[in-house]
This record gives sequence, structure tokens and C-alpha cells, in this order.
Amino acid sequence: MHKEITLVVNHQRYSLTVESDELLIDVLRDNLGLTGEKKGCATGDCGACTVILAGRPVTSCLVLAAAAEGKAIETIEGLQRGEQLHPLQQAFLDFGAVQCGYCIPGVLMMSKAILDDNPRPTPEDVRAGLSGNLCRCTGYGQIVEAVIAASRMMDGVKR
Amino acid sequence: MSRTTIGPTANRRETIPPEVEELLRTREDTALGKSYPRVDGVAKVTGKAQYSGDFSTSNMLYGKILFSDRQHARILRIDASGALALPGVRGVITAADAPLARLGIYVRDKEIFARGKVRFFGEPVAAVAATSERIAAQAVELIGVEYEDLPVIGDMDAAVETGEPVVHAEFERYSTVFPYIRYGNVCMDARLSMGDVDRAFAEADFVFEDTFNTQPHHQVSIAPHACAARLEPDGRLTVWTSTQQLSLCHYETAQALAMPMTKVRVVPLMLGGGFGGKVKSQYEPICALLAKAAGDPVRLTLSREEEFYATPPSSPFRIRLKTGVMRDGSIAAKEADILCDVGAYADHALGTAAHALASMQGPYRIPNCRGRARAVYTNNINYGCVRGYGVPQITFATESQMDSIAHALGMDPADLRQKNLCADGDTIVTTETLHSVHIRQTMDMALAASDYRAKKGRLGPNRGIGIANLIKSTGFLPSAAAVRVNEDATVSILTAVTDIGTGTHTALCQIAAEVFGVSVERVSIAAQDSDNSPYDTGSIGSRTIYDSGNAIRVAAEDVRAQLIDVAAGTWGCDRANVVVAGGRVYSRENPDQGLSFEALVGSATYASRGPLIGRASWLSAKPYKEYPGEGFGDGPYATFGFGTHVAEVEVDPATGKVHILHYTAIHDVGRVINPEGAQGQVQGGVVQGIAFGLYEEMVLDNGRLLNPNLTDYRVPTSLDAPEVTIDFVEEPDPTGPFGAKGMGEYPILAPAAAVANAIFEATGVRVKDLPISPERLYFALQSR
Repeated sequence: MHKEITLVVNHQRYSLTVESDELLIDVLRDNLGLTGEKKGCATGDCGACTVILAGRPVTSCLVLAAAAEGKAIETIEGLQRGEQLHPLQQAFLDFGAVQCGYCIPGVLMMSKAILDDNPRPTPEDVRAGLSGNLCRCTGYGQIVEAVIAASRMMDGVKR
Repeated sequence: MSRTTIGPTANRRETIPPEVEELLRTREDTALGKSYPRVDGVAKVTGKAQYSGDFSTSNMLYGKILFSDRQHARILRIDASGALALPGVRGVITAADAPLARLGIYVRDKEIFARGKVRFFGEPVAAVAATSERIAAQAVELIGVEYEDLPVIGDMDAAVETGEPVVHAEFERYSTVFPYIRYGNVCMDARLSMGDVDRAFAEADFVFEDTFNTQPHHQVSIAPHACAARLEPDGRLTVWTSTQQLSLCHYETAQALAMPMTKVRVVPLMLGGGFGGKVKSQYEPICALLAKAAGDPVRLTLSREEEFYATPPSSPFRIRLKTGVMRDGSIAAKEADILCDVGAYADHALGTAAHALASMQGPYRIPNCRGRARAVYTNNINYGCVRGYGVPQITFATESQMDSIAHALGMDPADLRQKNLCADGDTIVTTETLHSVHIRQTMDMALAASDYRAKKGRLGPNRGIGIANLIKSTGFLPSAAAVRVNEDATVSILTAVTDIGTGTHTALCQIAAEVFGVSVERVSIAAQDSDNSPYDTGSIGSRTIYDSGNAIRVAAEDVRAQLIDVAAGTWGCDRANVVVAGGRVYSRENPDQGLSFEALVGSATYASRGPLIGRASWLSAKPYKEYPGEGFGDGPYATFGFGTHVAEVEVDPATGKVHILHYTAIHDVGRVINPEGAQGQVQGGVVQGIAFGLYEEMVLDNGRLLNPNLTDYRVPTSLDAPEVTIDFVEEPDPTGPFGAKGMGEYPILAPAAAVANAIFEATGVRVKDLPISPERLYFALQSR
């Protein structure tokens, strides 16, 4: 069944026609061409599809696109400001937290959600917050360091 | 990070040529040993990096595969009419549409579609191209297949005992890369022998026999397999994929489609995790055939469930070790018997069995050794290889048994190992001679960094500390490269080796920059495709820095020699007096006179010589004069890497859960090219190795996979990853580029044993079957 919906993604409004059972991850990637967020499992287990929906991190493979109507959606494509990388993105580069990179958009969005909620997390807070994002390459060590470093760079200022 | 002074040492067995000696010296402006930012980093953190599943083109269709749901059955009939009638379906193909072409790394036993018979649950039977993923998935359900079930061999012992070749009735007709000894369902029966093993066992003071079992485990790359293909107007095929082996993927795709390689072009996109799962070709041939059949481009993506049962994981192994030891702890003899279930096709699994056999000694001097490895077909899933290639499995066995031996003799496990370490010049059971052996140094460093001596036996109840050593051979199969110095004096490297996430492309640029004495920012890897990128065996087996790095180094040196020729000719001096360094070229006698790198490149290109292009065709290891043993086709390898790991654990006796308190991993890598990259490899590899030891297991019931999902197949999360103390021994390997050996697989090899040994100290219980899950440990503790 078709539905006409409006999605607000990274401050941009998109008018779309979607099936009522279409998933948000598929609409973002295929309809809007935002392939930054990834599909790793389609069962909410790996976190590669993580976006921020109405201020909360969600696995977009478990969200119906229609259910996201009218709510602010933040994706990896909106994390940087023009050419300026977000402190999290810069920290991930500086601390060697990126290997194959496939998990990274989901990890970055989850990390942003962690810092939005708790600007001065401990390493344990970061590990707990990221426990729904699987990474096979890095062993997580440098990722946690990068998030802590970014939190210091941001110094409690939400970005 | 430690860095040893480079210079000739007394126990170096090879003379280092002077030009290599000079290159090994650390220069002030060296490009090596520095953590240059990854060349692909910004693309990855901004979400702009394009992986094969992200590929899109106009008029693109979506492909889905019908996999068999039988472990062993004849295919009587395939009825695609229901699928073809569904609106949006643009083609259905089966074996009938594919040229007769058997592929295989070691044994050519597999076609891209099951033809007449399926041999495992998950074998491709048909494929559909449709206008949407949803329609393609529906169409797959509408394809009717009539099967006649055949007896299932789900057990490797039954497969061996059955004299009849049940899984592959005509396998004696299959061509192989090596004259393996084959019979019944056994596709390889290999033996190696050295010394007088029977006499040494007879004379040994103690003989230890242990059997170890390891489980099939999966790469679980976060990106599932995906590829796309398009038939071009001129009849050529273009394929986009994520691959560890661009050149081999190209070759196999062309073979499978019975097309010349010049008519197939493979373009590698970013790879979201490989670990042995994206080697050779995987689903590219089926995708290409779909594109040909449908007349429009097709993108094919596997689901996570399909990843588990339809892409090749590692084999289960049974390893029996018998070791004869003298009272004083010296090892007199060792015998290994390895049985490996390759599943329905030999794939890479056969190679992992041979490689495990080759590594049976561990990093120890054992003058009397013999081993046998059998690889056997069953109707279990099509096994292949995971990072480590059989060596995580044999290392678990060897290092667990070393520990048992030490305890039985009343010796500290570290002392027993130190007493028996191998050294430069040792001949091992494969007849290869070891060189660049620095296991003594990795042990010393690991013992110190982990505070092992102070902690051993003193950690308190339910806590323990365990040690494990590793050896890994590498340096094998060819790499070619070309290096262009462009008109603006930037440098382009032409290579087919893909960066599978490890950061090798960055490190390879550093190597080339070092040859020219220019900044790393000037150097890049040219865009890759099978048309323009010279053959490379690819990113497998820890070979990239060593083999591809050597090829690129030689190609760069070729160009540097050309520049030196031009300069020497211009200045009328000896070639030996021309120095290329610091972005300049100058004469040793007159350092102030000279040209900038750019100026010399300009004059050479247009005036004195012609365009500057260098090339290399590199093969690290000379072939065996005579293949060792019987029916053994592994190697030879050009070099060996070593390492020592120490694990500190706490066991909860109420649940069997193991908590890693701390982990130390020290590796002998020759020279670290990019420290951040190297550390990342160790951190990630250690976590994978711990998971192999404690969490991961593919559970099969007579060939059916029971846990093809991320809930029931446990991959470590951020909460499971311990802090790892990482360091490197950097004694240059004169055969590696600037002394580097590489190290991709080393960190996954030892954790299972290090943790098992720590568990033994914590509980007194020796678990010899992996994974050491909480249930398994709990029941082992109960029956203590």
C-alpha cells in the first residue's frame, strides 16, 4: 500500500511515496541516495544502519519509513558542516579508529548520540553505549579513545 | 614503541647487500615508522566511501539467488515458470545457462551453479534478476525445484571411513594444482617427515598425547557480499565488487563465463571486511551471467543469513598431537595428525589443512617431526578460510599441549618454551630454513610487559595468566607493480592489491616515498581495475606489505635508477655518487649543486630520456627443488613472523564465563611502516582470536546450519574487548621492503591458546575443544 510521506533528513525536507512496509534504511539509501548508512544484517543486530531519529539513536532497519514521518532524522551525511569535519570524525581519523570503515557511519552516529546525552562520558560509558555496534576490524580500542578525545575537544558543547 | 638500532649482528646468517644496508638505516626525513593518515580515511568517516553494496547505475536490476535447502540431492527438475510470470522479473538462470567450467584454488571441483546435484545446504541452484529487491526475493520463492534426496554425510569420520567417493563421484577427473593423494572422500592425504621420529619417541622420557577439536568459524565481515555487473555495448563485461584478490576474481569470472580476460573488466570498490571471505571470486560470475541474461545491469547482495551458510567459513579441525620430551624439558619428537572437513568443495579449506600441517612444529626446534593432514569432503557447508589459514587451529593445539607438558614436568610454561625456541638457520619439517627469527625477543618483551613472572601462580582464586607463542610463514605467490613519475613529479603506483581495511595502501605509498626521498603526499595508488592494475595475488596470508611492498619498492627503484642515470650523464659522474633524497637529486661530491626532484623529472621526461615508468615482477620464494613429503603441496614461503601473547583471566565458576583482565601481544614484524595501522591490526586481530577461543561457533546438524544470525553466532562487542598492551620487535628482515615482514594474521593466531592456558591456571581444567564457551567450561569445572 502506497503512502505519501515527508521525511526531514539533515534539515532537508523530502516528499516521497513509499510502501507502508518499507524500512527507513532502504528509503534513505535507495530513494534518497544516502548510502552512507549501511545495511549489515536487517535484524537490528549489527548497528551499521544507526541514525538519530527525533534525538534518539535507532537501528533504521527496524523502523518503518512511514513511522519516521515528520521527525528529525540525522544521518552521517549531515554530521560534517560543509567541508568542516565534526570533532568525532576528526578524532576517528586522528586515533586510527577506522579500518574497513563499514561500521563507522553507524558508530559515529551512535557516538554522537552518546555525547548528546552525556557530554563527558567515561570509557566504560562509551563501551556500554557502543555495545550495539559491531566492528570486526578494530577491536574497539581506538574507537573508544577517539570518542573520549572528541568529547574533550567538544568540551561539553553539543554540535 | 621500541626501535632497535640497525646494523650487522653476529647471528645474522645472510649478508645484507650494502644498498639494502643503507636503505635499512633510519633517516631523519624517513617516511617509515610514521602514522600517516589513511588515504581513504576522510571518505570513510563522511560516509562517502563506496562499497559494492552502494553501487548504483541507471536501469539497474536486483539479483537474488535460490540456494539449495538440501544437503545432498539430485536435481530432477527446475521450474522457473512461476518466477518468470511475476511482473518485474527480467531473467532466471541456472546451470543450464552457464558454460561448463569447474573452478577451484587447489582442486577444480566447483561450478557456479549446482549442475545435476547439490552437495550442500546453501549451494546456488538458480538466480533471478528483477526490477526491485522485493520482487527478486518473491521470484526466488516461486522457483520450483524437484529434488531426489541422497544420503547425507555430515560427519568427517564417516566420510573418511566410507571407501566410496560419495560427495564427488568423479573427483579423480578433476584437475588439481598439485598431484594430491586422493581416495574415497579424501581429497588430500599429505605427509611430512624429518629425522627419526620412532627412535626419538622410544628414547623420550615422557610422551604426551592430546586431541584437540576446533569449530568452524566465520569471518562475519560487517559488509555482506555484494557485487554488480553490466554488459557493455561492445560486448565486454564490467563487474564491480569488493575483493581481496582483484586479479584472481578477474580470472575466475572470465573462466566461469568462458570469456577472454580482455573482455571482462573488474573494478574493485571499497571492501567492508574480508578476513578470507572475499578471496578469489565469490558471486561475481553469477552476477555477470545475470546481467548478460537480463540485458541490463544487475546488483546482487547477500543477506546476513545467506552470508553465514552460503559464503565459505573456516573448517572444523581435529588435531592429534603426540610429543616426546626429555626430563630436562627438551622436546625430542613431535607427531601431528590433522583431520579437516572441507565440506562439499575443496575451496581454500584444503589449503588450510596443508598449511596447518606445515606449521605443526610451532616456533620450536624439534629435530624429529612428522605429520599427516587429511582433507575430506562431506555434505557440510562449503568451507574456505578465515584469517590465519589453519594456523589459529594448529597454534591452539601446540600451545595448549606445551602448557600441559610444562605442568606435567613441574616447569614454568614460559621456561619450557624458552628452552626449545627455534633460531636462525633451523630447518623445519617442510625443509624450509628459518631466518629473521626473533621469538626470543618477543618472549622477553611479552614477559616483561605483562609482568608474567611476578603474576604467575600469584593471582588469587579463579584467576590465571597464560602464555602462547606463534609462528606464521608468509611471502608467497607473485606480485607485479608499475610506478609512474608524473610530469608534475607526483608518483602513481599501479597495483592490483586492494586495501581491505588494514591501511596497506597508505603503507605502500610510504614505501614508494621512501625510495624516492619525497613526501608521502606526493604518492598515491592509481585507481584500480583489472585492465590497468598489474597482476597481484592480493591481500591474503599476511603477504601485502612483504610481497606487494617488495614489488612496489623494486618498481620505484627501477625509476630511481633511471633518474640516477640521467643525473650521472648530465653531471659526468659515477652513478654511485648520485643521491636521491629529501626531495632533491644531487652529487655526493657537490651536494649544493643538484636539482629538485621536480626539475630532474621534467628534464628527464621531455628532454633526456622519455616518460619515467618503472616495473617489477616479483616472486618472493623460489620454488622447491623437490617438494617435501608426500602429497604435500603447501609453500614454499620466503619468510616467517613470530610473536608472543600473554592473557590474564578471571573465571566465574558459577557460570563458566571468562573475563579477560588484560592481554599483551608482542610481534616480530621486521619494521613497522605505519604504527597506527600496525596497532589497529593487533587490537582487532587479538579480539578476533579471543572470540575464536571463547565465543564463536557455527553449529551444524547433519549439514544444516542452526545459527545463521548475529544473535546466536556471537561476535564480540565493545564490552567484550579487553585492553591490549601492544608492542613490536623491529629487527629488520633483509628480504622485506626496508626490513618489513607484514603481520596481518599474526594477532589472531595465539589468543585461543593464551586464554586456554590462563584458564588452566585459574581452574586446573584443560579444555581442548573450542570454543571454550561458558557451558563447556562450566560442565568441565563440575566434573573436576
